[in-house]
Amino acid sequence: MIPHYQILSPTFGELVWDHHPTDELLGFQLAYLTYIQSNFLDALAEARQGFTRISLVWKNPKNQQEFLAQLKDLKLPPMELSNAIWQVPVCYDPEYGQDLNSVAESKNLSLSELIHLHSEPLYRIHFFGFLPGFFYLNGLHPLLHTPRKSVPLLAVPRGSVAIGGSQTGIYPMQSPGGWHIIGRSPLTFFDSKQPIPVWAKPGEQIEFVPISAAQFQNWNEPYPKLLRK
Amino acid sequence: MSQLLGKAALLRCPAGTSLQDKGRLAGAQFGIPTAGAMDQKSFRWANHILHNSSNAVALEMAQPGLRIQFDQACQIALAGAQVLVSLNQTQLSNSTLISIAAGDLLEIGAFLTGSRLYLCIQGGFQVERYLGSGSDFESITSPSKRSTQEVLSYIPIPQSNSLGAKPKWETSWFESPEIEAYRGTDWALLSSEQQEFIHSSIFHVSKFSNRMGIQLEELVPNQLEDLPTNPVFPGTVQLTPGGKIIVLMRDAGVTGGYPRILHLTEDGQSKLAQKRVGDSIRFQLIDTITG
Repeated sequence: MIPHYQILSPTFGELVWDHHPTDELLGFQLAYLTYIQSNFLDALAEARQGFTRISLVWKNPKNQQEFLAQLKDLKLPPMELSNAIWQVPVCYDPEYGQDLNSVAESKNLSLSELIHLHSEPLYRIHFFGFLPGFFYLNGLHPLLHTPRKSVPLLAVPRGSVAIGGSQTGIYPMQSPGGWHIIGRSPLTFFDSKQPIPVWAKPGEQIEFVPISAAQFQNWNEPYPKLLRK
Repeated sequence: MSQLLGKAALLRCPAGTSLQDKGRLAGAQFGIPTAGAMDQKSFRWANHILHNSSNAVALEMAQPGLRIQFDQACQIALAGAQVLVSLNQTQLSNSTLISIAAGDLLEIGAFLTGSRLYLCIQGGFQVERYLGSGSDFESITSPSKRSTQEVLSYIPIPQSNSLGAKPKWETSWFESPEIEAYRGTDWALLSSEQQEFIHSSIFHVSKFSNRMGIQLEELVPNQLEDLPTNPVFPGTVQLTPGGKIIVLMRDAGVTGGYPRILHLTEDGQSKLAQKRVGDSIRFQLIDTITG
């Protein structure tokens, strides 16, 4: 999975992978990102990662040309992904997941089947985007893929766990949003008072652990448990 | 230290007023938007004439009505929109660089041209920086925007320490409709008819425009589906499945799933930031010289 580089402006371009997002692709992305950040630190203004691209902003046009010259001979092996699993409690209750019933009905699933399908897999964190601290996760069961709402909700509550298209995610703060809300987590997902405002990193995994409404209300630990497989 | 700082009281603060600088480049890895001044060109110029660092924090306004009173002497500079300005209720003829004495009251009146005004102050407004930036943003800074009765801190200067020069801010650069843009990463997915349409049409700025993005009125016939979510930046132009063009601005999220069809130059972003609802624009495509 060797990427090619698309020049978009004299100081801006993208590493492009023409593949679907997978663990393997993520391993290559993290390998390239780490290499670039350690070898071109002074030349790079900014790097941003998505599912199939890494965007690079260079301090000047010469920096981009120098990178391009080196990239030709670069064949990095993928980075081994972390074995860390963060256990994120989620209360799947219509009180906290206002769209839980409608999603289950649209799929002809019982609530417990839906909850099982959502909490059973491990989800890989690919990157952060959309909102501060919002994980882009890969691994949603195809049965749960649900087109986004045509009219977004103005205020999705903080901690809401939701499904949009082929993705699932957690709203770290109240925000407008077009995803279907199926539950809520009592954890803190973003805290700008911390030097590093998020507790997880791209390449690590998330496991959703169902909790009851009573557990949700009495939850007072802001951070998840960390397992290593 | 804090008792040595000057205090600037916002006696009246119109909606849409915030503190901004170059933005927060180190935040994207955590999903934190860049933020920063919408019109970087005007912001940079006003800081420059004050001999400030290029990242000194300024007040950005999008509406008239600010009343601000300074309790100690300072130098300020205004750039961006062309506005009516009065100092102690006397209208100024040149309001680009202003020497403020202790107790002075500055008022911002009508916006004559443009839609964003920068009030820069020598030494910059003194705020806590997060990830290298003092730019206001929800969940990052507290407060996340500015309001009436708030007090901003600054470094006072001796009254005699005037900069002397009389520069005058010009706004003709943002008045033409041409907005410079590079072809975006997904430009090649468009049909040649769509490319020609985007290239040659006049578009108008929609009322659905804010610091996150500026939407355009005219729709581009479009059948392109959403793509895998990938990075976006201030200046990225997205095309929605409904054919709407959204130009992402400083507060936009750091990733998006719509095709990224163009990317505005920094000058193009500054120019667009000064356009008003209903103003016409045309994309002027520029070629990237490949090595």
